[in-house]
Amino acid sequence: MKRILADVTAFGRQYLRSRVGTFFALAFPVILILLFGAIFSSSGTPKVPLAVQDLDSTFASHGFVQALNNTTLITYQAIPTNVNFQDYMRAHSINVALQIPAGFQAALIQAEMGNASAKVNVTLAGDRTQSSFGIVYSAVAAVATAFNLKVANATEVVSVDESQLTVRQFGYIDFFLPGIIGFTVLTTPLFGMTSICAEYRTRRFFKLLATTKLSKAEWLAAKVVFYVLLLFLSVAIMMLVGVVVFGMQAALTPLAVLLIIAGTFEFTSLGMVLGIFVRDPGTGEALANAIGFPMMFLAGSFFPIDAMPPFLRTLARGLPLTYINEGLRATMVFGNDGTALTYLLITLGFAVVFFVVGARGLSWKSK
Amino acid sequence: MKGVVSPGATNVDGKDSRGRGDRKLHGTARCRAARDVGVGEHVIEVRGLVKRYPDITAVDGIDFDVNRGEVFSLLGPNGAGKTTTVEILEGLRDPTAGEARVLGEDVRSGYRRIRERVGVLPQDFEPFDRLRPREAVAYWAHLFDHAVSDRDVANIIETVGLTDRASTFALNLSGGEKRRLGIAMALVGQPELLFLDEPTTGLDPGARRELWKLIGDLKRKGRTILLTTHYLDEAEQLADDVAILNHGKIVAHGSPSALISQFGGGTTIVLAGARRGGYEALSSRGIAAELHGIDVLVHVPMASQVRPLLAKLASIEVPLTEIYTKRSTLEDVFLKLVGARMEEGVLAA
Ligand SMILES: Nc1ncnc2c1ncn2[C@@H]1O[C@H](COP(=O)(O)OP(=O)(O)OP(=O)(O)O)[C@@H](O)[C@H]1O
Ligand SMILES: [Mg+2]
Repeated sequence: MKRILADVTAFGRQYLRSRVGTFFALAFPVILILLFGAIFSSSGTPKVPLAVQDLDSTFASHGFVQALNNTTLITYQAIPTNVNFQDYMRAHSINVALQIPAGFQAALIQAEMGNASAKVNVTLAGDRTQSSFGIVYSAVAAVATAFNLKVANATEVVSVDESQLTVRQFGYIDFFLPGIIGFTVLTTPLFGMTSICAEYRTRRFFKLLATTKLSKAEWLAAKVVFYVLLLFLSVAIMMLVGVVVFGMQAALTPLAVLLIIAGTFEFTSLGMVLGIFVRDPGTGEALANAIGFPMMFLAGSFFPIDAMPPFLRTLARGLPLTYINEGLRATMVFGNDGTALTYLLITLGFAVVFFVVGARGLSWKSK
Repeated sequence: MKGVVSPGATNVDGKDSRGRGDRKLHGTARCRAARDVGVGEHVIEVRGLVKRYPDITAVDGIDFDVNRGEVFSLLGPNGAGKTTTVEILEGLRDPTAGEARVLGEDVRSGYRRIRERVGVLPQDFEPFDRLRPREAVAYWAHLFDHAVSDRDVANIIETVGLTDRASTFALNLSGGEKRRLGIAMALVGQPELLFLDEPTTGLDPGARRELWKLIGDLKRKGRTILLTTHYLDEAEQLADDVAILNHGKIVAHGSPSALISQFGGGTTIVLAGARRGGYEALSSRGIAAELHGIDVLVHVPMASQVRPLLAKLASIEVPLTEIYTKRSTLEDVFLKLVGARMEEGVLAA
């Protein structure tokens, strides 16, 4: 235990004395919070710009556009009627555009008068793979349906009432911050440890340590302790920024604290596991990137996992970071401590495995 | 009892420290037993040691013993197998074959017990950049479970002559100061045995000489030191016992003076500036000589022949600038045994 404390002190001193490194370790998550917070918090739901070429230009077609505007999902822009629809889109780099054909009002009148074969198509052009296309498509389809019902003189049976899911008034920052904490729990120790392992190997510090009584497990434990302290500092700064700048509501619960500790334990150990394969700083960085980057995106640090395609969702279930992100959201945002506890146990499971593999697998000696 | 060698107790304790019974001893008890081992005791025993790599046999069946309290030097060019041997003894590499015992423990099974009792300065030692020497020494002492006071740390730093630099980041120390710090760190466990792997390589002559003095002081304080080097003068100056290692084999082994008298070819009389004329004058009188540049060298194998030969040479009329005698050095021994000179660890024909 004394040896671990001595190592934490010596390592911490060196770490904090390399001021630039420490600054970025602490500042990077804050920069992310400010950046993402600024993008998403201010404007509420983002609106999609929609260009419309109204070749009909009647009361009915104006009404259709007005109804689209009222959905609040889009902002309207006109395309002149005397240009080619497709060419104009290309020339002006328009993502989604709607064309209302001439005869739109005429067809509606025909239908209202009972002509069953009356029909008109509006054209929605754009890139289907873009999420903005999906948003516009839903809006157009909804308005079209409303028009159809009106023409058929039907009454609305199903309607939607809005209600807030959670108790407190949460903003985007409250969902986002747990993700950034998870991100930091991943990156700070993982990237740190792989580069330390590379440095300790190339500069022969491992060999030097092997001549003392300090064991590899003790050395790793000391790194875990240090990174837990560093992460506490980092999370405190993030929470402060969240509250002061964005009026964040989510609170750090005891389970969140435990998840942060377990996660740091987990990723510090994973860093040492990667250290087994690291022979020089270049490999160390590459390896940490290869494991770290996909994980931070797939495990829902920045985007909800539910928004991903099914096979990625399955993949995310296998990633250790997923349980930290989701666990933190569960306890910090939804107050769902049951889920958080399960995820905490899963995280500890991963952590113990990584610790044992790292402490045993990494060799301090030479062949 | 501390630090005192008592001949009466030597044999008994000496045997015990190698026997199995000693392994159960802990803390002060074991320390005492170890300290009581007599002067003649082997601190290191190496038998038939082999280390093979896929493409090279780095250590090729070597045997040697290191006595307590002596400086033992492994001397050899780059790639001779010095570091490999030393690291096997430190427990940092596993031997392919053979046996090695350090402080009575087998290096394979006794690694944990050995590392508590030895101090190590690795080749190309680098300190932790952002620790001050006094912090590094205190840190290292804790890693050996030694509770050190600030006073103790200051003493160790004083021993290696770093007192003035004790509060500088290691990053900013000179090469020689870094090595001193390394030696200070090796000393914190109060080791009975010190491994110094090329402690002076890459240092300027002044810094080397200062380190020699430090190593001499440590020896006088009773430490056993295994020193590797490729400086012949260093081995000659410091070592009680030298093993010349080449291509993984020991080509000669003994005290520097024994090696010199056995392989050095005795004394050389130098007729400086005697030139070819001098050489021919000697040859015509039946004296075997050698022309070396403008100097004429006469090798005298036995010390008893030096005086008569000098008298004889003085009577011959040859123009010369100076006449002097030169005793053989390890350099001559090395040249004779290895067939090449050694400059900074590199063999030159
Ligand atoms: N891990 C290894 N794998 C393969 N070959 C090795 C390994 N370690 C050492 N060798 C080889 O073994 C030989 C002896 O190396 P060693 O480091 O013991 O030499 P040395 O006497 O310490 O030389 P130097 O004076 O340069 O330090 C060298 O030829 C070296 O290339
Ligand atoms: Mg070497």
